[in-house]
Amino acid sequence: MSAPAGAELGSKGAAARGVTRGARSTTGLGALWVAVVALLAFMPYLVSQADTSILLNFFVLLTMATMWNLLAGYAGMVSIGQQAFVGLGAYGVLVLADAGFNPVAAIPVAAVMCAAISLPISLLVFRLRGGYFAIATWVVADAASLVISSNSSIGGGTGKTVPGMSSLGPRAFEEVTYWAALAVVVVAVGLAYALLRSRLGLVLAAVRDNEVGARSAGARVATARRIVYLVAALGCGAAGALLAVSQLNVQPASVFGVQWSAEMIFVTMIGGIGTIEGPVLGTIVFFLLQQNLAHDGAWYLIIFGSLAVAIAIWAPRGLWGTATSRLRVQLFPVGYHVGRPRRTRDVVPEPPAAPPAASTT
Amino acid sequence: MAPLLELVHVKKRFGQVTIAEDVSFAVEPGAAVGIVGPNGAGKTTLFGVVSGDVRPDAGDVLLDGRVVSRLDPAARCRLGIGRTYQVPRPFDKMTVFENVLLAAQQGARARGPESYAHALAALDSTGLAPDANRLAGSLGLLARKRLELARALATQPRLLLLDEVAGGLTDLEVGELVSVVREANERGVAVIWIEHVVRALLATVDRLLCLAGGEVIGDGDPREVLASPRVREVYLGTDAAVGESVT
Ligand SMILES: Nc1ncnc2c1ncn2[C@@H]1O[C@H](COP(=O)(O)OP(=O)(O)O)[C@@H](O)[C@H]1O
Ligand SMILES: [Mg+2]
Repeated sequence: MSAPAGAELGSKGAAARGVTRGARSTTGLGALWVAVVALLAFMPYLVSQADTSILLNFFVLLTMATMWNLLAGYAGMVSIGQQAFVGLGAYGVLVLADAGFNPVAAIPVAAVMCAAISLPISLLVFRLRGGYFAIATWVVADAASLVISSNSSIGGGTGKTVPGMSSLGPRAFEEVTYWAALAVVVVAVGLAYALLRSRLGLVLAAVRDNEVGARSAGARVATARRIVYLVAALGCGAAGALLAVSQLNVQPASVFGVQWSAEMIFVTMIGGIGTIEGPVLGTIVFFLLQQNLAHDGAWYLIIFGSLAVAIAIWAPRGLWGTATSRLRVQLFPVGYHVGRPRRTRDVVPEPPAAPPAASTT
Repeated sequence: MAPLLELVHVKKRFGQVTIAEDVSFAVEPGAAVGIVGPNGAGKTTLFGVVSGDVRPDAGDVLLDGRVVSRLDPAARCRLGIGRTYQVPRPFDKMTVFENVLLAAQQGARARGPESYAHALAALDSTGLAPDANRLAGSLGLLARKRLELARALATQPRLLLLDEVAGGLTDLEVGELVSVVREANERGVAVIWIEHVVRALLATVDRLLCLAGGEVIGDGDPREVLASPRVREVYLGTDAAVGESVT
């Protein structure tokens, strides 16, 4: 995941061409990301407790948005029911903590449980396409919420407090939950990136461009979609688990709320669907607006909603997509580049303004 | 030994239009078979039946003597059926190399450097190597057709289905195409080639099927099939083309 490793290989003939990842030289990007994560890890020592908790919520939403982006932006599955896994992740932590588990250690366990539950759910919702799929995912989320609410041993409709964190002082609690959230978002974005760079990522891109062509070239579309759905459940489950640990209280109406889907969709659309950078940028914009306008009541939501609509109409590729369509910047390069056998030439496919001069030796 | 491909009593209709009434034929491993027939005869649909895109109303498709009628296109590709589409289906927002790499990784189940080697070899043999880093969406029609062929080759097929890949090519380009297909065939890949450019077929295949009215109306030595009265009848008006190519 750091500096892209070029694979030198000899093909037939004298010409040996290197195949590298990413359209431009991307050495140093790995170092950049390490520096960013290291800086974020020090944040609890640099900023106030309130700001730490804002950053924590930023990580939670970014994790969710990254997962929704994988689903809708790459696998063509527009879900409005990912709160099913947010809620189940939160309740996973609650149940495990009730049984004596350390809540922080329960985060990955709850996430894996969500991934496991997503498999049978996928058998159900994958029978539907497009809008029907979207609605089915919402129905599943509501059903999960109902089942949980009717179970009084885990707090019923009013919810329950997550035990097991009281031994930590307030300062240590803040730090531990912050680092847990940072770890989750780094793993989530890293996993999304690794997935898109893998063979599966190529399958998703091909299916997006031409599904019939992809199938006849051997791509197993249903398997690819199922893996993405599973990963998205894992990520959203981890985000929900973080909510439980950081808020120390789990309520069905809150963790299963459709507002999670609304926020994931908003930030992804604003930042740029179908790019890894998009949700990052969109989540930053969301939190900036929220922090600057939250004291004016719900104004930030209205402004944010209007922004999302405006972007959907005039810049459907989102802020990142629009900005980089000219600049060709890639902070997460996923493509391939074939080196020239002999001399190097710029091979970026820009339509030439004038016909290329005949062999400028 | 079982034939590589066998169609058994395949029947297909679209509404009132009969595409295949009762089509049966077999193709041996390593064979080179041409298919001709008037437009709308159902040639492309028949490829769909073989590759899994089209579900026949009745009949079966066998690969290596095993019924594959219920397998989806991806599974059939992985078993060795590689196809091109008459109307190209490129992955527009991916580069030419990535288009072909997908086929190598999925169809041929290759990984890492092995998949790169398959992809580069397919680009080399189809002359697309200089365009490796271009987006497929920026290619012209002829290059798209080459990309179809490159993608099919990169799946490392045992059976290659070519659907009118020579249309619109110059004589020189037809010659290059023929040598690519023959090269694959000499490596043991069985080829079934639907083509109106009869001279390309005659340079490549040793068996020709003629499809018309939902039936196989000619099957055998290419020149004999083209000379048979029934085939000449359905090709009425294009006698010149056929006559030219037989010489
Ligand atoms: N999906 C479809 N639905 C209805 N009719 C179709 C479909 N696909 C092909 N056809 C019709 O079937 C006939 C045979 O088409 P095709 O197989 O493309 O013939 P060919 O390749 O021999 O020119 C044509 O009349 C075409 O319009
Ligand atoms: Mg056709």
